[in-house]
Amino acid sequence: MTTWKERLKDEIPLEMAKLIDTYEAQMSLRQQGKMDEKVFAEARLRKGVYGQRYDNGQRHDGVRTQALAYPSEDIVKGPDTLWDAPGMQRIKIPYGGLSARQLDVLSELADEYADGILHITTRQDIQLHYVHIDDTPDLMRRLAAVGITTQEACGNSVRNITACSLAGVCHDEAFDVSPYADAMTQFLLAHDDVQDFGRKFKVAFSGCAGQACGLVKMHDLGLLAQSREVAGELQRGFTVFVGGGLGTVPHQAKALADFVTPEQLLPLTQAIARVFARLGEKKNRNRARLKFLVAKLGIDEFRSLVEAELAALPHDPRHTAYLDNVRDFVYEPAKAGLQLNGAPLPEGFDEWYRSNVYRQVQAGYSVVTLHTPLGDFTAQQGFQLADIARKYVGDNIRLTVEQNIVLRWVADADLPALCRDLRKIGLGDAHAGSIVDITTCPGTDTCKLGIASSRGLTAELRTRLIERINLLPDAVRELKIKVSGCFNSCGQHHVADIGFFGNSRRSGNHKLPHFQVVLGGQWQQNAGNYGLAVGAVPAKTVPAVLAALTERYVAERAEDQNFQSWVKQLGRKEIKAMLKPFMQLPTFEDNPAFFSDWGDSRVYTIEDIGVGECAGEVVSLFSMEISKAESTHFEALLALDDGDFRRADERAYRAMVLAARALVRTKYLDVGDDNDRIVNEFRERFYDTELVYDRFAKGKFARYLFKRHAGQPSLLDEDYAHQIIDETQLFIENIHSAEQRINGVIVA
Amino acid sequence: MQTVPKRLAMKLNLARAPQLQPADIVPIFQRWIQQRTVPGLLIDVIDYKHVPDGPGVVLVADEADYAWDLGAGQAGLRYIRKRALPDDLSAALRLCWAGALAAAQALEAEAPGDIVFDYQLVEISYLDRLQYPNDRQVAATALAALATSLQEIFGTKLQLQRLHDDPRYLLAFHCVAGRSLADSLPSPARAD
Ligand code: HEM
Ligand code: SF4
Repeated sequence: MTTWKERLKDEIPLEMAKLIDTYEAQMSLRQQGKMDEKVFAEARLRKGVYGQRYDNGQRHDGVRTQALAYPSEDIVKGPDTLWDAPGMQRIKIPYGGLSARQLDVLSELADEYADGILHITTRQDIQLHYVHIDDTPDLMRRLAAVGITTQEACGNSVRNITACSLAGVCHDEAFDVSPYADAMTQFLLAHDDVQDFGRKFKVAFSGCAGQACGLVKMHDLGLLAQSREVAGELQRGFTVFVGGGLGTVPHQAKALADFVTPEQLLPLTQAIARVFARLGEKKNRNRARLKFLVAKLGIDEFRSLVEAELAALPHDPRHTAYLDNVRDFVYEPAKAGLQLNGAPLPEGFDEWYRSNVYRQVQAGYSVVTLHTPLGDFTAQQGFQLADIARKYVGDNIRLTVEQNIVLRWVADADLPALCRDLRKIGLGDAHAGSIVDITTCPGTDTCKLGIASSRGLTAELRTRLIERINLLPDAVRELKIKVSGCFNSCGQHHVADIGFFGNSRRSGNHKLPHFQVVLGGQWQQNAGNYGLAVGAVPAKTVPAVLAALTERYVAERAEDQNFQSWVKQLGRKEIKAMLKPFMQLPTFEDNPAFFSDWGDSRVYTIEDIGVGECAGEVVSLFSMEISKAESTHFEALLALDDGDFRRADERAYRAMVLAARALVRTKYLDVGDDNDRIVNEFRERFYDTELVYDRFAKGKFARYLFKRHAGQPSLLDEDYAHQIIDETQLFIENIHSAEQRINGVIVA
Repeated sequence: MQTVPKRLAMKLNLARAPQLQPADIVPIFQRWIQQRTVPGLLIDVIDYKHVPDGPGVVLVADEADYAWDLGAGQAGLRYIRKRALPDDLSAALRLCWAGALAAAQALEAEAPGDIVFDYQLVEISYLDRLQYPNDRQVAATALAALATSLQEIFGTKLQLQRLHDDPRYLLAFHCVAGRSLADSLPSPARAD
């Protein structure tokens, strides 16, 4: 029986294939108990394979906590995370850009491996939920075959790089940031310098300062496009921001450099990554994001460290090689741009046009926004949308940070027909970007840290608001609502006009789901201001709270006064007073409905909250790298079982080189990936100095590597393959003990 | 003998639109978890009723999901067997039938007279594009094998029709019988 691995072997780029093979080998090692669970957890997260609620093997069913006895019992895929428990697969979609073919494949995977739903995240990713870990290698291969990777979608590394969904077609941008976001994605992916972070690292690009789309101010690294005139010529560059972030303690990013040229962009980023890897907090997970390092050092000190690092950076041709691609970066519209031509319009077209259509800077073309409720769409809609894209826009599809989809390069003349086609597949609703278009994190539905049901609340508010949308004044219609299930703010509630995040309160012996109300955050100006927390209300009162707030806003606002300014004017005290009546807690007997969450009939409990994996596992760089050597050794064993002795030899040799490299990198990060160089550095630093010597065998194990490095034997038979695999095993063991002797006890 | 697809789903459609709304299914499925009403390691309930023609409300279990499915605009019960499928196609079909039937009957008991299934029709899909890509040749072979197995299981001949010919869609068949399949072999208890 053929496998996806065989079927797709000619379609997957070699480097991607290797990364997936390594991960698959690590899975086997973990199942056999031969790989540390924390190291595996971090390796898994760096493949975008995330835990999900109830994966610790228990769930409260509303009456009692039930044990979930999964078949593979106590095999875990991370601390307290059971192997068979369904999980989430996050899939990186750099700057949200998708082709029709990619959308097809994502949809196929959703109905084969998940629950038939594709979920768009607040960082332009796609997530599939309820995926079994055993299916993840094939899932990754099928994605890789169409140029999509899940590498570093989660874990302590560089996450998906986001950018304005209007980049390239926008009236306000300095220039199109897409090719730069693309180049940075490629450059940083699996890069050596992004493997030793204490926490995740998020990058965003924006084409202008005034709009929201790029959200650069809330990112670890934000790049804002600027152009300036030098000797009569327009020069491109970026203002670089660092140390922004949401989470429990939101920080606005600080300007690191006013103008960085495209030639300097990647080296500067690499230097920042190095400083973060070297000096960022590794132990205290709550203070490990770059924002804390920048705050601790001060931006000036941080800047000089980065400058020093930059000066010492080894030359890399890739720093500038991408510039050719930037020059060649063009969009291919499916049709010629034609104005609307008086063809009959579908009913409700004007309304849809007002809210969902953006006139591109290119005459005759528009961007159309498709509103996906709660960020969800079905596999079937995915196929149908891919067809619609092919018909009207080709591959010009992007996901947005508001959990929507945009089709770009729609010929204006096609708008009425496109509107009709989108309605047929349930993606033609008006009011995109309005108050009904609520952003939400996964919350208690699937997130282990969820305290209240952000999706349940969003679904409820959405239904109620849609019913009344035509009665709402424009000032209310334009407001943005964003909901998170807890203080971690994955739903970006800090940057909404009206934000909510889940928490809980007690009444008698019972807990009630609550939402903290956060008002007056700013979406514009790249998330220029964070909102004000004004008090927590029971989840079930939120619709009433929303009504009270918006009614008062409409009644009291000065003409043209926006929500932020009105909130500021009203002040926290006054708003608190206004919310007070909603904060009264009923007893369970009086109003049991308050003791269940939205969309959930169970009596509310916080017992299901688990340990989230957002912070990944802090494992040393050495542990991560030596585990790759171990899984490569495992691949050699598999090759031996298959009778493929040539491959067994190649994998064993590679495993030894990787192990040597892991040790060398504890002293010399820049060793690179050239075998000769690695072996030389290893010899000089660890063998000649006898640091790697075993107490009894002395340098014997190290010499296994030297022997193989000197050349492949002429006869590659089974005996030889056995022997080199055994030697590799001993070599890896030797590296482990040497590392402990040299560097002291390491984490995990 | 045909290999068994990696995952196999069966959907039973409702005979007519019920009063009951998809939102009413959430508490029912949640109670099923409390009371272990249907077979399997029941994990959680997810609500996707906000997406049109989607999976509706899903009771997720380890081996199989039970969905109050709204696919193709037709409400029904879809049983999606994900793991631990027997090696033999007939055995796998029996297992899925038992699961689908158990859940359909349990749902009928929740709202007698309102929820009524049409047991003459079952929609079977192969969730395995590696072994069962949705092309004409594979479909023809699969259809023949499926027809034989179904006749053996139910003791009656079913009319089979391929659902989609778009290669991206799952290979799936409408299977129609001349009589209700509910009381033919096997009863849920015996099958699992
Ligand atoms: C301590 C733990 C966590 C923290 C501090 C955290 C923080 C954040 C923040 C601040 C964002 C969004 C905004 C941004 O920076 O662009 C985000 C994105 C997100 N988070 Fe979390 N999060 C945590 C755990 C989780 C967990 C356990 C889940 C559920 C599985 C989750 C799901 C998401 C999703 C779906 C996104 C959208 C993102 C993407 O595609 O990267 N987060 N997280
Ligand atoms: S905000 Fe909280 S509940 Fe929502 S996804 Fe993030 S960690 Fe989970």
